Amino acid sequence: MAARRVLKAVLVDLSGTLHIEDSAVPGSQEALKRLRNAPVAIRFVTNTTKESKRDLLERLKTLEFDIAEDEIFTSLTAARNLLEQKQVRPLLLVDDNALQDFKGIPTNDPNAVVVGLAPEHFNYQMMNKAFRLILDGAPLIAIHKARYYKRKDGLALGPGPFVTGLEYATDTKATVVGKPETTFFLEALSGTGCKPEETVMIGDDCRDDVGGAQHAGMLGILVKTGKYRAADEDKINPAPYLTCESFPQAVDHILQHLL
Amino acid sequence: MHQLQAPGRAVRAMAEWAKHLGGIKGVVLDISGVLYDGGGEGGGVPIPGSIEAVEKIKASGLKLRFCTNETQATRGKFVAKLQRLGFNILVNEVTAPAPAACRILKERNLRPHLLVHDDLVPEFDQLDKANPNCVVIGDAADNLSYKNLNEAFRVLIGLENPILISLGRGRYYKETDGLKLDVGVYMKALEYACDVQAEVVGKPSKMFFQSALAEMEVEPQQAIMIGDDIVNDVGGAQQCGMRALQVRTGKYRPCDEQHPEVKADGYVNNLAEAVDIIVKQLHK
Repeated sequence: MAARRVLKAVLVDLSGTLHIEDSAVPGSQEALKRLRNAPVAIRFVTNTTKESKRDLLERLKTLEFDIAEDEIFTSLTAARNLLEQKQVRPLLLVDDNALQDFKGIPTNDPNAVVVGLAPEHFNYQMMNKAFRLILDGAPLIAIHKARYYKRKDGLALGPGPFVTGLEYATDTKATVVGKPETTFFLEALSGTGCKPEETVMIGDDCRDDVGGAQHAGMLGILVKTGKYRAADEDKINPAPYLTCESFPQAVDHILQHLL
Repeated sequence: MHQLQAPGRAVRAMAEWAKHLGGIKGVVLDISGVLYDGGGEGGGVPIPGSIEAVEKIKASGLKLRFCTNETQATRGKFVAKLQRLGFNILVNEVTAPAPAACRILKERNLRPHLLVHDDLVPEFDQLDKANPNCVVIGDAADNLSYKNLNEAFRVLIGLENPILISLGRGRYYKETDGLKLDVGVYMKALEYACDVQAEVVGKPSKMFFQSALAEMEVEPQQAIMIGDDIVNDVGGAQQCGMRALQVRTGKYRPCDEQHPEVKADGYVNNLAEAVDIIVKQLHK
């Protein structure tokens, strides 16, 4: 193992790591309490595009997690920042719930396309609409490119496949604002005063959580909950710093070995 | 609106590629975007001059084959529609992906989960579809719903050896009400989701062109392909050793003429113009 780093910040994925839909991963609330006793900044980072920050907070509070709104950084926030920067009017292929996070951004006569996780919009008609805008020059912004996610009834396609399809159709590249983009991880740390080298990321998605974080200079801990499938840890290079059962074990490791 | 070339330049440009028509014995025609534009009432609108152009080829003594990736109906229904629109075309003159796919599925004992247009399903009647061990995707238009894509995805992700067969890999095609996403887009989506590579049955696969040439009994060097898709029609045909022309109808866009990888042997305004020149050369 490399020389001991100084750990100052912990990034924690939400869906699949702290909870799966409406159930907490067993032992996680208590593990989070123990982590808060350590001298580390904590941020909750998520690519979830179906819920606004307020929705996320509600659910986490219901599951008895002690979290504040300003500790949450989502890819929706990252997308909104980009739209404001570029001053464009988006066709928003995002879940209705997520629209809240785009309030105030004009959407008439769109000249940009934003794609999030929005199964109800991934029908042929809407995809054609997005396709024609992009072919005419509208930038394609992807909140993230997750291949699939875990629902109660099994695995389900994420926005990644649809973004890839639109890129192919139009021969353009999407700007991806969520995990595993490096800018996402760096922006998540803003306000903590910590550097990537001083940070550990805990998540269930080997490529997007762990791979992305490590590529940004952080350590990555892969948990075997949520969308994790056997041997996922063999699919990235370098391999995860650590693979363990679930969030409580990840916290144990941090408290015992990284502080 | 597409820019039709001014007559002066066009004549000089035409003269160039017309010089290289020696030895042509057979013509292979794409259908959508060359003969007609699909969609709307009646199923489509013939492109001006195309009906006559087909007659002209048949009267010239040249061999003729239609090579299409259209999979929104069985060959029988599709040809019947074109006949109703006025085209002189027969089922046994058409090379299409579904019959080719069925042969492959039978050979390899594959049981398909179909993600295709409703009207194409009968082409697969002879195949066992229980307990699928592969997915076949075609240009299914509105059937390309999230729910149906998800079902196909779940079949693939659950297979130890996921096999995805795609009837073509086009990016888009033109209908009367505009450009629409083609099967290639959804093929890429499933490839990305499952981390697999699809096998393409249909243009631009070499095997597909070669089977059309075999039916015609001409060698690639004796054949010329005419299509509106610079990559799948023109590029694909050239890779087989055929000559190929791009028409400025259908899905054509001006940037096609600056394609970084594919240079057509000639660019023509439409099928009628191409056939005029080809037939004139024959009689020289």
